[in-house]
Amino acid sequence: MICEHCKQRHATVTVTQLQNSNKIERHYCEVCASKFHPMQLDLQEEPVSIHQLMSDWLGLPLKAKHQETQKRKKTMDCPVCGMSYRQFLKVGKFGCASCYDAFREQLPPMLQRLQADVKHTGKTTVDGQQQVRYQQQIEKLREQLLQAIEEERFEDAATLRDEVKTIEKKLHVGGVDTP
Amino acid sequence: MNIEHFLNNTRPSWMEATEDYTDIVMSTRIRLARNINKIRFPISFSEEEAKQVEEMVLHTLLENEQKDVNFSYFPMKELTVLQRQILVEKHLISPALAKREKTAAVFLTADESTSVMVNEEDHIRIQYLAPGLQLHEAYAKADEIDRLLEKQCTYAYDEQLGYLTSCPTNVGTGLRASVMLHLPALTMTKKMNLLIQTMARLGMVVRGIYGEGSENLGNVYQISNQITLGKSEQDILDDLQNVVEKVIQRERHARKELFSKVSIALEDRLFRSLGTLMYARVLTSEEAASCLSNVRLAVDLGIIEDIALGQLNECLLLIQPGFLQQYAHTTLQAPERDIYRAKLLQEKLTTHNRNELIRGKGEDLYDV
Repeated sequence: MICEHCKQRHATVTVTQLQNSNKIERHYCEVCASKFHPMQLDLQEEPVSIHQLMSDWLGLPLKAKHQETQKRKKTMDCPVCGMSYRQFLKVGKFGCASCYDAFREQLPPMLQRLQADVKHTGKTTVDGQQQVRYQQQIEKLREQLLQAIEEERFEDAATLRDEVKTIEKKLHVGGVDTP
Repeated sequence: MNIEHFLNNTRPSWMEATEDYTDIVMSTRIRLARNINKIRFPISFSEEEAKQVEEMVLHTLLENEQKDVNFSYFPMKELTVLQRQILVEKHLISPALAKREKTAAVFLTADESTSVMVNEEDHIRIQYLAPGLQLHEAYAKADEIDRLLEKQCTYAYDEQLGYLTSCPTNVGTGLRASVMLHLPALTMTKKMNLLIQTMARLGMVVRGIYGEGSENLGNVYQISNQITLGKSEQDILDDLQNVVEKVIQRERHARKELFSKVSIALEDRLFRSLGTLMYARVLTSEEAASCLSNVRLAVDLGIIEDIALGQLNECLLLIQPGFLQQYAHTTLQAPERDIYRAKLLQEKLTTHNRNELIRGKGEDLYDV
């Protein structure tokens, strides 16, 4: 479209006027539009754009897009709600919490595109389930530990003991916020 | 507390103009998305599961021991279409919740700062609204409710992925923090497109206040975090706070420039808007919102002195279709609404002026 005023340049600005509640649209180029419109003065001291300002201040460039060409694997449907990955892609929403397990392999590339990282670093929940899981892990490790001692594999035993300790620590601070 | 309270009150606590930055920041909103373990998400759950979720939340919120949090409970099925619409217009429920057909409900505190939506996109959505810029304070309040619910409900939570939500854009913290900003000068000087692009790169989203689509009705924008996973709540809030403060600086700068360089053109425009609001006989919501925005700017700049910000906030609520009909006590078609809107604004703004003349300029609400 060509500017209605100078009839030379391309019209890039649309001006909507209200006259007796009728909308009238006019199309001008940047140059002509600024003549009509008192508000569009160029603010001086503008070479530092907001964009520049923001990225200077946060120091992060555009996040590299991970355009990993995801190999089309045959994926299982979610055993709980029956959602397929294809269905998920269509609606963009998971059907239940188990979908996250069912599609765990597909998650990282997708989450990298949407999110800052693929690992949660915020508030944790005082989750009974979680506690049970930790306790099961500890029991298992303890069995292995005993076996290692019996078989006199002391180095293995030491590593196992450390593992137990880390999980025990997790178990005890489980409900507290990690800052 | 009955529903009438929530429908008639046009000055909820979060709209009071008291904090810093009230010349630009209108309100702060925190939303936490949570789901209950072992129950399918609302997109695929059964009516029985929906009831089960509602039952659990009902039990926890209404029978809690904390005496200072009192919730009123409203099942969606018991509300009329107009009542739901008003709650949407007040930002107490989301448009999605208003449309739910399965069992869904909202829990509200009397001051309208806290709302807990049940069976929206996720089982539980905790929302806290605060006036001005109060990200951390508002989060602390929402977190309180979260901890209260957590005592009774086992959340769907994953060690790697944090709180599991129906949409992967909420997974992790489930936290969406938004700040509502009035940015007339950046809009007038055509800086918004650049700002919106920049925000996207910083992991922030800019939207119109009345949701997506209604891009910048009344020059009110909502800036919120896009990222919910891989950043802690504190980092999300800090980053948003920083971004918002930068935007405020830019807006103030643009206002100053406009005022000093084209003051007569600006004053002319702002006073014309006041004229339109006071004397027009037909007003569409777009025109009313844009005029209210101009008058607000004039009040902020001290060009217009006898109108309070609280008054303008109230008008901004009242010009919406649902509110108008509630106020008129009857159903109104769009053309009738435009006439009624003009009448109502005239009333609201002139009676206020008259009061001001009698009382003198005693109010502290002016922001010069």
